[in-house]
Amino acid sequence: MKEQLTTSRRGFLKLTGIAGGGLMLGFNLTGCDTLPENPDFRDLEINAFILINGDGTVTIKAKNPDIGQGVKTSLPMILAEELDIPWKMVTVEQAELDSRLGSQFAGGSTGVKTNYENLRKAGAAVRDVIVRAAADQWGVQPLDCKTEDGFVTHGSKRLHYGHLAEAAAQLELNEDPPLKDPKTFNIIGKSRPDVDLKKIVTGEALYGIDQEIDGMVYATVLKPQVFGSKLANIEDSEAKAVPGVIDIFEISQGDNPGNGLGGVAIVAENQWAAFKAKGLVKAEWNSPKGFISSNERLRRALDRGASSKGTVLKDEGNVGNAFRNSDEVIEAKYHVPFISHSQMEPMNFIADVQKDKVLLIGPTQTPGSAAASASNITGVPREQVQMKFTRIGGGFGRRLLNDYANEAVLISQKVERPVKLVWTREADFLADYYRPAGAYHFKAALTGKNLEAMEVNICTTSRYLYRQSTPAHGTEAFPDQQPAGMIPNFKVTYSPLKSNIPVGALRTPGVNATTYAYQGFMDELAEKVGMDPIEFQLGLIGTEDKDMPYEDHGGPTYNTVRLRNVIELVREKANWGGGKSQGFAAQMIFGSYVACIVDASLVDGKVKVDKVNVAVDCGRVINPIGANAQVQGGITDAISAALYESLELRDGAPIGQNFDRYEKLRITDSPEVDVHFVASEESPQGLGEPSYPILFPALTNAVYQVTGQRIRELPLKKHNLV
Amino acid sequence: MASYNIKINGQTRSVEAGADTPMLWVLRDELDMKGTKFGCGIGQCGACTVHLNGNAVRSCQIPVSAVGENDITTIEGLSEKGDHPLQEAWKQHDVPQCGYCQAGQIMNAAALLNKNSNPSYQEIEDATHGNICRCGTYNKIKAAITTAAEQL
Repeated sequence: MKEQLTTSRRGFLKLTGIAGGGLMLGFNLTGCDTLPENPDFRDLEINAFILINGDGTVTIKAKNPDIGQGVKTSLPMILAEELDIPWKMVTVEQAELDSRLGSQFAGGSTGVKTNYENLRKAGAAVRDVIVRAAADQWGVQPLDCKTEDGFVTHGSKRLHYGHLAEAAAQLELNEDPPLKDPKTFNIIGKSRPDVDLKKIVTGEALYGIDQEIDGMVYATVLKPQVFGSKLANIEDSEAKAVPGVIDIFEISQGDNPGNGLGGVAIVAENQWAAFKAKGLVKAEWNSPKGFISSNERLRRALDRGASSKGTVLKDEGNVGNAFRNSDEVIEAKYHVPFISHSQMEPMNFIADVQKDKVLLIGPTQTPGSAAASASNITGVPREQVQMKFTRIGGGFGRRLLNDYANEAVLISQKVERPVKLVWTREADFLADYYRPAGAYHFKAALTGKNLEAMEVNICTTSRYLYRQSTPAHGTEAFPDQQPAGMIPNFKVTYSPLKSNIPVGALRTPGVNATTYAYQGFMDELAEKVGMDPIEFQLGLIGTEDKDMPYEDHGGPTYNTVRLRNVIELVREKANWGGGKSQGFAAQMIFGSYVACIVDASLVDGKVKVDKVNVAVDCGRVINPIGANAQVQGGITDAISAALYESLELRDGAPIGQNFDRYEKLRITDSPEVDVHFVASEESPQGLGEPSYPILFPALTNAVYQVTGQRIRELPLKKHNLV
Repeated sequence: MASYNIKINGQTRSVEAGADTPMLWVLRDELDMKGTKFGCGIGQCGACTVHLNGNAVRSCQIPVSAVGENDITTIEGLSEKGDHPLQEAWKQHDVPQCGYCQAGQIMNAAALLNKNSNPSYQEIEDATHGNICRCGTYNKIKAAITTAAEQL
């Protein structure tokens, strides 16, 4: 590696992997303008993202973890587009944690949005040096050269990229390379199947749980029945008698649940022995003081919180006056339960802690944090922690936290061997970081058909109570959420509720709850004033082209015309008002605009979702087939949560500890979902999350049309519907 | 621990394992066949689906000692070149998102098509009810099974 080159440039465009002093090549590039019969060019890394192979094909590094959101395909598509190489000549490889690649992270629907411009430049910079290398050889101007089908051409001369890599690697990378006119895109905007498709359908070892390293032992962790309990006593003689069991011991990550919940580690020569022994460990636990014993107690505590004087997050106009002087005041209380991530691949991680280095392999949405955390635990310098992340069998926010990776590190450290930790599904439910439960109390003032005032008092079990530095309301209440700024008097307050239930981020954290409550209440108000729900909301949004302030994720503003457009599109596509039982909701979510109409019916007292239409404006779509899948997936996931999902407690312990008692949506309940994208040249936004929240209110509003019952508390299966 | 000779994907494989070890863990950890996935351990999610004499079974529920002379087929043995009509249809429809459940989904669907090469929409749904897809690819699964059935 030529160090002077890597240090002379800034940012991601570093030329990092070029040949050093030992470069010896047995061929002459000069004048070589045809493809040799047996090309013998070296594979060369031109920048950290792109390896030009000797045969002219390219290998592109997938920088971010793929949790099913498709970035292992879509981000390399962006690079390949500007590199101007046919997609069929591209092989995608998963990158390791590598500081040259920038932030490597899966969360907040940010993968495409935050990498789009950078990856375009990184791809274009490599195309640019390849073209300059060709121009140098031919003694012509780079601007007179073209790239097509993986070749650089000038008149009748043509060379594939593999010919030129060696020469290109000697040139300075252009920090501001010319970018393509988007009108000429031929990869971005065209559907490409997942790059791992063949491996997935043939069962290749792709996931964290499939990995192995030499000499490793297997572990699992026993978790207490009541969240937050501390180990009091352990009787493990029977467990230790299971053939293959190596050791059993307590692990702890301290008192902050945000770091990890601790438990009893069982280490064995094989996974089954560890699982079997776990069932034989007799552990006594001390339950935490004031633990939440039942859902009824939880609900009362949330309502008390929402009724208390909370932190005022927004106070526009004078809601008090408006409530006193209006024709009518409407009140409603909405509630959401704790829900589980229940990602299909159980929690797992491999750690090999040695005296002076650590190897980590596994599925994490935050590989950088996993590596930093391993360094903290072991005292091994961060540079000596190698982190290989894998394709991930579902994230949904659960794998933003690295509690399980830390456990693997602690166990490897204790047994002084490489360890593969795999949790049982039961452990996953006993130590999930659930979507916070919340209460949302609404009050609105109506005069004639006018919404004069609205007040929202929110109480949730905020995950930010685990942090000193962030206020508890962060990602729990969204004071700029519509109809903020659309009505003269508007107030939002927030009160956190401390609880022993561990909480974390789940697909559109916070927004998945507030969207349900706000858009449900808006539907109630539309009915009160005798208006069509779509017309009512369009009336508030107005016809002016305005950028509304939005200080939370997806901001700093959102545009009223883009919101109106998705509403009008879904209204048309779903044949709104065509005599069916339909519910509507729309909002800007994490930078994308979504509007949804659900058709529902009641079959034997059970809600059936017959059809879902969603209109989406996410800016430019990178990979249409993947984008469509993300929107469908978000909707389907939300149907599962809306119909069935809730952490139900008995004496503080979850009743559902596996898929027998924690019900998930099955294929028989999965409706047709039609996704309609607004054609857009706006900058691309993420899609892993935005469709998820919008389904909840669209569905419950449809259920109201079917049954006349307002569903102000999820899930639907708790309601007797007729 | 005992020794078992088990017929997997047309070959007889010899393994050492405790009698109660589920086939899932024998496949994954003793035979290094990672396509069969652990999802729930109680036969509720279908991620570990394999064939026992052509029928779909949950390998987490079958102890190694119960396999005997029966033939086991796993995703690795469904086709020689990864081109079973279902695998082809899965590719055509770009079914997976995270992909973790999909080997189980394909094995489950393959057992259905073994018995019924022309299933109705309702028969597809009924036969697939036991396989959870957490990402919500159900509609593409239905479409891919329909496409594969048309090829048979």
